[in-house]
Amino acid sequence: MSKHSALNTFGRSGNPAFTRNFNLAGAGDIALEERMTLDGAVNKTVILLSLCFAGAFIGWNTPALTMPALIVGTVLSFVTIFRSPTKAGSTAPFYAAFQGVALGGITVFAEAQYPGIGIQAIGLTFGILASLLFCYKTGIIKPTENFRLMIFSATMGIGLLYLVSFVMSFFGSGIGFIHSNGLFGIGFSLFVVGIAALNLVLDFDFIEEGAEQGLPKHMEWYGAFSLMVTLVWLYIEILRLLMKLRSR
Amino acid sequence: MNTLIFGLIIIISLFIFLKLGKIKASKKQLNRDNRIKWRRNQNQSLNEDTDNSKIVEGKPAQISDQSDE
Repeated sequence: MSKHSALNTFGRSGNPAFTRNFNLAGAGDIALEERMTLDGAVNKTVILLSLCFAGAFIGWNTPALTMPALIVGTVLSFVTIFRSPTKAGSTAPFYAAFQGVALGGITVFAEAQYPGIGIQAIGLTFGILASLLFCYKTGIIKPTENFRLMIFSATMGIGLLYLVSFVMSFFGSGIGFIHSNGLFGIGFSLFVVGIAALNLVLDFDFIEEGAEQGLPKHMEWYGAFSLMVTLVWLYIEILRLLMKLRSR
Repeated sequence: MNTLIFGLIIIISLFIFLKLGKIKASKKQLNRDNRIKWRRNQNQSLNEDTDNSKIVEGKPAQISDQSDE
């Protein structure tokens, strides 16, 4: 029996975008200019981030678009993950733009209640991104198979908890502590922020190894998309944590 | 004022990411045995095939030039 049989059963990554099987067979046969590169993946991430910021500007000025943009963005993320990673180049830019509009609207809502919270959340998100990128590049954080299993389990657990809470909300109840501003609620938010942040390390590792192995060029878009999904999640969780702290 | 600060944070963040992201990870990070094997999903079906293969115990038969006949 395989040493990591649990990984084989449950999947390979914490990020849902990486739980798919990729058609990597014959990566060595791909022409050099058709291979994934680190520069390409970083450039595409910057393109997606710029689109997200442009969308956020629209959402900031037109908060009524928040819900429709959130729904379209979520649908696009599922299409990219479950349909085909090869099409990520055509869906990821729209995903980033629509999620940007939604995040802009959410930030306006948060700013109205707690002035200055948006800047704090953006600063923290990019601070975490930069520090984890530094830690990964220098080898301070070394992702292993066990690390991936841990992050995957925790991410799935959080996802399931949110899903149950969402379904329960239709029946007038819910899992109170995850939304409360008590010590337990803040502790839970801190844990979720930690898991979301550690998902970034898996994204970096996927991009780094993808470039090293010479995966097909379209995987640059997929790697950038995965990083965007994690960053959007991280931003929302940081915003939730800050709102809980400020409401005390 | 808010827009200006937002804009500054965004530009600085993108610049840092662009510069830091393109630096290749250190050898300490890349050259280790316990790295995550992202390609294993693809090879899993291959491994399953080998797991199910029949293992014949005993001495292997020698192949000689006459065996073709």
